[in-house]
Amino acid sequence: MANIITVASLSKSYGKKNVLNDISFQIEEGSIVGLLGPNGCGKTTLIKILTGLIKDHTGTVKIDNDEPGPYTKSIVAFLPDKSYLPDWMRPVDAIEYFADFYKDFDKAKAEQMVRDFRLDPKQKLKTMSKGQQEKLCLILVMCRQAKLYVLDEPLGGLDPASRSAILDLIMTNYAKNASVLISTHLINDVEKIFNRVLMISEGKLIVNSHVDEIREKGKSVEEVFKEVFTYAW
Amino acid sequence: MLGKLIKHEIRHSARYHLAILIATVAVTAIVGLSLLSDSSILAALSCFALVVTGIATVIVTLVSVIKNFYDTIYGRQGYLTLTLPVKGSKILLSKVLVSFLWIVVGFIATAVPYFLIFLYARVKTSALTDMFGDALRGLLTMLPETDVLIMLLVVMVLLIIAQILTYVGYVYFSVTVANTRLFHNHPKLFGGLTFFAIMTLASQIGNFISEIVPFSFVATYNSAYFSFKPAQEIAAAFIIYPIGGTIFSMIVAVALLALTGYVIENKVNIK
Repeated sequence: MANIITVASLSKSYGKKNVLNDISFQIEEGSIVGLLGPNGCGKTTLIKILTGLIKDHTGTVKIDNDEPGPYTKSIVAFLPDKSYLPDWMRPVDAIEYFADFYKDFDKAKAEQMVRDFRLDPKQKLKTMSKGQQEKLCLILVMCRQAKLYVLDEPLGGLDPASRSAILDLIMTNYAKNASVLISTHLINDVEKIFNRVLMISEGKLIVNSHVDEIREKGKSVEEVFKEVFTYAW
Repeated sequence: MLGKLIKHEIRHSARYHLAILIATVAVTAIVGLSLLSDSSILAALSCFALVVTGIATVIVTLVSVIKNFYDTIYGRQGYLTLTLPVKGSKILLSKVLVSFLWIVVGFIATAVPYFLIFLYARVKTSALTDMFGDALRGLLTMLPETDVLIMLLVVMVLLIIAQILTYVGYVYFSVTVANTRLFHNHPKLFGGLTFFAIMTLASQIGNFISEIVPFSFVATYNSAYFSFKPAQEIAAAFIIYPIGGTIFSMIVAVALLALTGYVIENKVNIK
């Protein structure tokens, strides 16, 4: 199977601080990958590079055999770790925005999901709760028929019931044969959906393994995570 | 895609600009009504309000251009803007065009009331017998002949376009510099310093160029022309505007916009 992500010798530093240090990995099409690591380990920087938000790095990054740019942005559905919609927007405005710019955006599905999640299509974002805003952002991302979904901490700040609902939303709506990269530190909630995990520690990729391989050793992803990141506890 | 970028840029920035434009229209209407009342005190007061509103319109418009650019590129909305499947240069171009549009609309909203008062004064000048009427008549007698006035207006419009593009170029580059890793802890301070540093430097170099190449627009009461003579050799002109400095400022602004586009494409640093 072809690779949707190919990263080779990737390094990125902010001044004298190395945030990513000689990272290499490939992700096959159709994979659901957990990008795991404690806060500040370099997950978000890696995601920003994959989504074309950071370009001043060394090493090579290819998404569907292309360097991050307009083409890769057209096939990557990205959910950042913060609400990125302007306060004045309403769900109807946000849907129109996505429909205008992304050919793979399913407008009818988004309108239906807004109703299903009981969001008011005419309510401004600034009057919505944080949870409602996060739901809207996720609806917009998951209503794209993308080749790759990159979700940065989609469960952060949610209660356990909401986390389960959001995971359902992700798992039932991503496009067939697409790949999903989920960055999180809430492993317990999501480990059952991954088929591969990448663990980053202090800018280095220290685990790159199929979940089946981990389970064959009689361990869970969470146990491996705790072993690897003992220093972070 | 550029059309869609412009459409959404206008929708996003409209709320900043529409409020002040509505206020300008409202004040203009009040001025119009007060002129009809034939009360010189009311007319003087409403003209003062018009000047204040005009200044406010220009300031709010210019500040909104800065805020909109910062919010949508370097603020959290940058995650939305910069992950769109379009080139950074197109995003920048859409922002330049829409900022230009709003500044032009702001200037028109500020200038139209004065034009209306001018027309009113021409039509009703004989009807106004008080001090306000005298002041307007005084202003009218100072104006040059109609063909000179038209030439003056055309050159003024071109110079305003050049000044707007120069302003947008300086502002976008200053905001960009202020959001590089070196300065992003104090973006307002360094943004302001960069803007005034560029403006001062470009203006000094522009003045120097104007002295070496004295290319200027000259208007007298009965003629308007371009001249390569030094200012002291031009007699009886009421406007001698050096063009060389303006051309230099525009070249600097275009270069800074190109640099801003490069930074957005390659070196952007969203918090």
